[in-house]
Amino acid sequence: MSSIRSTSASPAARRTRSIRATPPLLGWRTVDILTVVFLGAALGIAYWGWSLLYQGPSTVLGGLFPPLQGITGAPWLMAGVVGGLVVRRPGAAILCEVVAALVEMLPGTQWGTATFVSGVLQGAGAELGFLLLGYTSFGIGAALLAGALSAPFEVVYEWFTYWTDWTWGWKLAYGGILVVSGAVIAGGLGWLLTRALARAGALGAFPPGQEAREAGGLH
Amino acid sequence: MACTDPAVAASGPVQGAARRRDGGLVEVSGLTWRPYGRRDPVLRDLTLTIPAGQRVLLVGPSGAGKSTLLRAVGGLLETADSGERTGAVTIDGMPAGSSAGMVGMVLQEPGAGIVSATVGRDVAFGLENVGADRTGMPRVVAESLRAVRLDKPADTPTSALSGGETQRLAIAGALALRPRVLLLDEPTAMLDPDNAASVRAVVDEVTRDRGLTVVVVEHRLGPWLDLVDRLLVLDRAGGIVADGCPGEVLQIHADSLAAQGIWVPGVPDPEPLRIPSGMFDQRSGEGTEPRGRVGGPAVRGEVGGAAVRGEFGGAELRGVRDVRVERVTRTIMGEERAVLAVDGVTASARAGRTTALVGPSGSGKSTLLLALAGLVDHTAGEAPATDVPSRELARQVAWVPQWSSSTIVARTVLDEALVSARAVGLADAVARPRALALLESLGLGDLLDADPRQLSGGEQRRLAMAAAVVHQPATLLADEPTVGQDRLTWAAVLGVVEAFREAGGAVVVSTHDDAVVARADDVVRLGAAAAAALPPASSPSSRLSGAARAASPTPPGRLPALPGPTRPRPSSPALSGPVDSSPDVPSVSALPPPPDPPAPAGPPSATTRRPLVSRCGPLALLGASLLGIPAGIVSPTWQASLLVVLAMVVIGGVGLWAPGSGAPPRGRLARVGVRMIPAAIGALSVGWSTWLLGHRDLEVAGTAGLRVVLIVLPAAFLLAYVDPDVLGDQLGQRLHLPARPVVALAAALQRVNSFGAVWGEISRARRVRGIGGTRSPRAVVGALSAMTMGLLVRALGEAAQLAVAMDARGFATAQRRTWYAAAPWRRADLLLVLAWLLPVAVAVVLASA
Repeated sequence: MSSIRSTSASPAARRTRSIRATPPLLGWRTVDILTVVFLGAALGIAYWGWSLLYQGPSTVLGGLFPPLQGITGAPWLMAGVVGGLVVRRPGAAILCEVVAALVEMLPGTQWGTATFVSGVLQGAGAELGFLLLGYTSFGIGAALLAGALSAPFEVVYEWFTYWTDWTWGWKLAYGGILVVSGAVIAGGLGWLLTRALARAGALGAFPPGQEAREAGGLH
Repeated sequence: MACTDPAVAASGPVQGAARRRDGGLVEVSGLTWRPYGRRDPVLRDLTLTIPAGQRVLLVGPSGAGKSTLLRAVGGLLETADSGERTGAVTIDGMPAGSSAGMVGMVLQEPGAGIVSATVGRDVAFGLENVGADRTGMPRVVAESLRAVRLDKPADTPTSALSGGETQRLAIAGALALRPRVLLLDEPTAMLDPDNAASVRAVVDEVTRDRGLTVVVVEHRLGPWLDLVDRLLVLDRAGGIVADGCPGEVLQIHADSLAAQGIWVPGVPDPEPLRIPSGMFDQRSGEGTEPRGRVGGPAVRGEVGGAAVRGEFGGAELRGVRDVRVERVTRTIMGEERAVLAVDGVTASARAGRTTALVGPSGSGKSTLLLALAGLVDHTAGEAPATDVPSRELARQVAWVPQWSSSTIVARTVLDEALVSARAVGLADAVARPRALALLESLGLGDLLDADPRQLSGGEQRRLAMAAAVVHQPATLLADEPTVGQDRLTWAAVLGVVEAFREAGGAVVVSTHDDAVVARADDVVRLGAAAAAALPPASSPSSRLSGAARAASPTPPGRLPALPGPTRPRPSSPALSGPVDSSPDVPSVSALPPPPDPPAPAGPPSATTRRPLVSRCGPLALLGASLLGIPAGIVSPTWQASLLVVLAMVVIGGVGLWAPGSGAPPRGRLARVGVRMIPAAIGALSVGWSTWLLGHRDLEVAGTAGLRVVLIVLPAAFLLAYVDPDVLGDQLGQRLHLPARPVVALAAALQRVNSFGAVWGEISRARRVRGIGGTRSPRAVVGALSAMTMGLLVRALGEAAQLAVAMDARGFATAQRRTWYAAAPWRRADLLLVLAWLLPVAVAVVLASA
């Protein structure tokens, strides 16, 4: 039954591959769900803060070359990456990003309910990244991929809502910039954040926490 | 309490008086548990039998695996940790955790296991998980609440309960599932004595009535000894070292238990740790006359009903006079709640003296400390300025909050201790040896390079005290520094306090701890009960300037002019910036109950005027607000868009109409306006970039900019009326989304508001430690990421605790859940969606024309 769950073996040897979630892969524990949702909620507050702050840098970049605004859009892709990296189960990335978007939306942003739509599209992209790797790899490469793939759906949606009158050259440039900055900012920083959380002892029940403990030597 | 030998009592229940025999037989055999990444198991080959109905007190030094054993009995080992387990745990022969609600679990932190916004729903949580029929729930809820003597309506907000009431609510939630075993993990450690007694009385009563098996972990044994049949002692290696009747075990082990930090009755309180003299520089000329202190000074007087005793000698280093502080919290939905936390209080920090701030929970002790520190704004009276630069503030004052873990900023224990010293520019040659010596005396000498976030709670508390004084500020303020601590940490905390004071520093501690009060030079008692009798203008004599007048015409925590416990104010729809709160604000109603029960914070009664739109459910509101997107995409020109905007404003305006008589709700339109500000900026930005590209064509730019307005406008009218609690109900019952994520989301949305308070506490702690300065953009980014990290760690900790509490109530297996509250789709919902389809229709017509 639920709490009497088989747990994966724990070889003390240094791992080169990612530790996977306890099987079955779709057997979400309560702590998995709660952690994804709480992470999403906390990041949603951060998203909301960023929605107030980003205008400055975004305007500067947009003044240089409007599609560069994709760079300031990348932080909003982080929750999906982090949710996936922490819990490592199918659905974690999209759930985390959607919750973050929902929490960001409630106090009010400049996108209204469209915030939520973006969250679904971005989360679906991140989820696709982890899916392509079969939910087996959760290193920096997987993070970069999930970060990059968080962008495309969102880009297409924005073409038809916000950037309708741009040339295709600008539209494609915007897409490329959001993909790259998604990989670097959401993927890279998301990976660093996950590692930092694990080292802080906050992920004891999750594979990253186990990896951190094993990397730090047994004590 | 008669004590049968536990080893032979397995044949039957010990409690003869039980009316029911619900208790279960607990058998643990060969249990070993090693979390992944640890070399040594936390529990080692543990075998134990607890007969049905027996009440066991489980004790041991910190780190002995007491909580782990409790979780094992509950079948909850793997809920919030991962590791290797061998051996078996059964209850009445069935594997622990194999059916929902077999055990009830109460956690140390009040509120850690709260799932719902209202008392009734929270009790019903377990019933929902086992798929109980909704119609039977209110009866079970009422019975369970009665059993724990929580005589409150089912719609009472859980946030309005005191710590003790919250713990009793957790017991009620367990009882609803008719558990066989009740597991309590230091259930009273965080409570004041009155609340603790109320929890113990309820535990005694319900377990006796039902004949439940009980395992309670505590490190203050005294009050529990009469309630239990058996005392079980674990050691650091994770094995049982003593087991038997409490009296017999204590006869043999009292001294060794006390030496391990456990509070054993009959063993005298520990002496404060001797910190080597010369640790601190002696502050000169600040009147540190000798004084007798053990036993406490005589009562000096009664000022405004607030008992005050002491000499109040020494120079006043900081003080507040007749200070009034309102704490404002903002919810995520933009509602502001102001609570009068402190009113008309006078207190001071005096050189070479310790002042104890005492009074019931919710009397404003924590807020008063913040006012003394200059960390919270006051609305009347005098208090230290709140705009002192961070580093200057650090030189003047140190503040140790109750949550010492959230103030950690460094990666090693030694660096953490040196944070403020470095910030204020104290020479390393002075600071470093002092930090090393201090950490050594506090028992942290072997942990200098350890990550402070990995320390135990007691170790973190000692480190926080050390870090507060290494740079030797003038004043030390500590909020409940000994609560929940074992004897070792208690002695360390008091050792720091006394050494700091001996060197001429001023100390103010808020506390419920009699032993701390007994060691204080001056005592200031805040009290709710004293308040009513106070003539508002009677100021204390100058001789008694250290006196507190815990003074407000109504009990603190309630504002006189207003009907409810909170005062909604029109405001920006925002968690704008750090939100003010302190540990004692959430428990504002930890006060003795006010004469008239506050109105529940739920939906207003029918007589109140409220906007039409507030009758709609969250799904309709979200759905209608999404309709801005098609309207925006379809609308062809800026002229068409203006017409659509007009339609939206008319429909939105009708929705905000609040028919009826009496005062209309205020700030409805302002709220919409505030929510449109970011949209307006976004519209300008999109319009501008389109203009730049689109041949500098104003019409094209205008159309693009107005598209943004169209997309957001419905949300600005509607989203403020989404009730997060009802959202979960509707997502689960109307959209049939998977129940567990939906319930988790509802629980998280409730706690999002408290994240603002956490953020505020972290930022205050950074400021007072001298690292709150925002000089360069790089420093700002660094500070923001550190604070976000702190918030995330705290949120994850809450998630892990909540997971244990929820699984104990059957959430893990809740595949076919029922719901306590119905979530009907009403006519108002349909009307709302139809109305907001109109602007889309307008856009479609104009586009095809």
